[in-house]
Amino acid sequence: MSQLPSVQPVSRRRRFSLARREALTFYLMISPWLAGFLLFTLGPMVASLVISFTRWDLLSPARFVGLANYQKMFTRDPLFWQSLKVTTLYTAAYVPLELTGGLILALLMNQRLKGIALFRTIYYLPSVLPGVAFVVLWMWILHPDVGLLNTVLSYLGIQGPRWLVDPRWALSALLMMSLWGLGRSMVIYLASLQTLPAHLYEAAAIDGANAWQSFWKITLPLLTPTIFFNLVLSIISTFQTFTSAFVATDGGPLDSTLFYVLYLFRQAFQYFNMGYASAMAWFLFLVILILTLLIVRSSEHWVYYEGRLR
Amino acid sequence: MKRFYPLSILLIALLLAACGPTPTPQIVKEVVTQVVEKTVEQTVVVPGPTTVVEVEKVVTATPEPTQPPAEGAKTILRVGTGDSGEGLNPHQQIIGNFEDANPDILVQLEAVAGRDYYTRLLTQIAAANAPDIMQIGDDAVPMFVGKGAFVPLDDFITGNYPLDTSIYLPGVLDPGRWEGKQWLLPKDFTPLGVYYNKKIFDQYNVAYPQDGWTWDDLLKTAQALTKDLDGDGKTDLWGIQLTANWTTGFEYWVAAAGGRLISEDGTKVVGFMDSPETISAVQFFADLYNKYKVAPPPADFSLWAGGNAEFENGKAAMRLFGRWPQAGYKKNPNIDLGVVGVPVGKVRANILFWGGFGISSTSKNPEAAWRFLKYYVGPEGSEVWKDWAIPPVASVAEKAGLTTDPIEGVWISELNHLAPRAYVFTPFWNEAVDPALRKALETVLIDPAADVTTVMQKAAQEAQTALDEKLSQ
Repeated sequence: MSQLPSVQPVSRRRRFSLARREALTFYLMISPWLAGFLLFTLGPMVASLVISFTRWDLLSPARFVGLANYQKMFTRDPLFWQSLKVTTLYTAAYVPLELTGGLILALLMNQRLKGIALFRTIYYLPSVLPGVAFVVLWMWILHPDVGLLNTVLSYLGIQGPRWLVDPRWALSALLMMSLWGLGRSMVIYLASLQTLPAHLYEAAAIDGANAWQSFWKITLPLLTPTIFFNLVLSIISTFQTFTSAFVATDGGPLDSTLFYVLYLFRQAFQYFNMGYASAMAWFLFLVILILTLLIVRSSEHWVYYEGRLR
Repeated sequence: MKRFYPLSILLIALLLAACGPTPTPQIVKEVVTQVVEKTVEQTVVVPGPTTVVEVEKVVTATPEPTQPPAEGAKTILRVGTGDSGEGLNPHQQIIGNFEDANPDILVQLEAVAGRDYYTRLLTQIAAANAPDIMQIGDDAVPMFVGKGAFVPLDDFITGNYPLDTSIYLPGVLDPGRWEGKQWLLPKDFTPLGVYYNKKIFDQYNVAYPQDGWTWDDLLKTAQALTKDLDGDGKTDLWGIQLTANWTTGFEYWVAAAGGRLISEDGTKVVGFMDSPETISAVQFFADLYNKYKVAPPPADFSLWAGGNAEFENGKAAMRLFGRWPQAGYKKNPNIDLGVVGVPVGKVRANILFWGGFGISSTSKNPEAAWRFLKYYVGPEGSEVWKDWAIPPVASVAEKAGLTTDPIEGVWISELNHLAPRAYVFTPFWNEAVDPALRKALETVLIDPAADVTTVMQKAAQEAQTALDEKLSQ
């Protein structure tokens, strides 16, 4: 405390106004993150944009080829389109399932029951397993002859498909695998479910609303910011699906699980076409950017913020 | 599901190293960088001239037992390897022996496991900071050599520290040769072979396969050992476990059918991948699965079709594969192991899987690197390798009794029948041709009704288009 007076003269000289000093402190505090972002994210991103206009294999000097990489991508590479198709299809199926599934789970986990914490843990646990271990476990579950899933199906008199070897089923198998990680979105839903104001429900109950009605009229509208958040995150991460296909199928059978990022990885780190891979990365970035912008735009129409009057 | 598949463990280990949650896996590396930094410190701190001669003076002229020989003036060599886990043991053992015999040189092993290894090497080479000695697998040799990553070894081989190249087993120098020069020397290698479980053969009174057996013999043996034991209409014991869509392994079948997958000059796939010989190989391979049903159908199409574990579990009588899982098989209580050469088709053929060491073109101490390389791949290193794998030096293998060993002798004698692998003929094999072949194999395995000729013609066209595109760049 005895130090304080000595600070006073500095501020009296008004070398820095309070606002400027605060700003300075702010930048000082975030500088590690800022430096990290510039050096390790923005820098490489800009570099990869430049690389995408070259042909470069890491060893020989890069050769400027203009738009050739993009041109090949759109006109002469069937695998590019296949990977885009697989990824889009998968995203279109997975995102709605994750959004609704996560919400349903969260609603169930929001009950006041004895031992509910245990159930929450059980459902959340798969989301914290390391990706590769998780996939390998599932490969055993999906084993066509001795796997758990087909064994159970056979008890029900159903001959299960040869999941990962059947081009008609492999993508669905990966989808099923990923849905085990629903806990991630569940936790976010659950957190906002628990902040919903009880007085709204009480008022609704007094007005004679049943549980179904209060879900549609109160819970869902109040959850829309969370749904919006989960939707954006889910789309971004699903477009970048990689590990499951990399480990379980290596893109097969017949390229039916050739995800965009898996193909990009092959181009970059197996064929060493750094320029082409960078072009692919930028196209994916654009796709995700546009989708996100569309969702943000649309959010005005369906996302409800309590603090804002409409 | 009773047993954990040993191959899967290997695979997991590889993959854990190779991929994190994001698709740009760069995990194992920090440690290595630190080692390098330490290296620099050591060399800087040392005053006076470095080099070999200085050290020898110290050692001979001042034989002071209390002081270790000139700790400072050592030349430091970095050795890059993609091996990991137990695979590092022989490296470390050889390095230890070498350092004892050559006190002027310090060797540091830099291990980067998984599919990441080559990417790391490439970036190190681009930054002129590559290890002095680098390990490369067979099909990466053309790319690395073609891009000038290695120095030719021919002058070293005949130079101050000569190496007699006639000491090697047949065929093991070839994958390190490229465009008439020797760039790498053999570290370890394996051809393909057929494992068989004597327990099963004895139980059903079937004669063991003999060297020189044919595709017909293979089929008959496998048929005799494919059985539905409990009468539920499902096969419980399989004749032979095969490698599904593993394209590299499939090159054996093509070679043994007298075919090849790509022209000698590396420009034509059409006329080779769809030749009558290649088609007959695909047909027979697919028939083993679909028509004769002697091979357990694949459980997944991941790397090496790792999902099949029938042989490990004693549910398949034979398995066609490389020497990699042999140590595990020998310990496996389900298996009484025998090994025989791959069966003869129209011709006798096998293919080699190979890893070798070369000297980096950016090495600042190429002579010291050569001394280590020569030691590693010469009789001294082979003395260590013989306890882990087949040593490349013939006399060491012979003295250790491996050439006459009923199992190891088979792998060694298979070296006499090697056909060149397809990657030798084009640097674009992996990118342009391999995907089409893989897809074709998957098609005929999945769909028993698929017409092999049509499938192969389509695959050849597809590969040709991709290859032409790469060649025109």
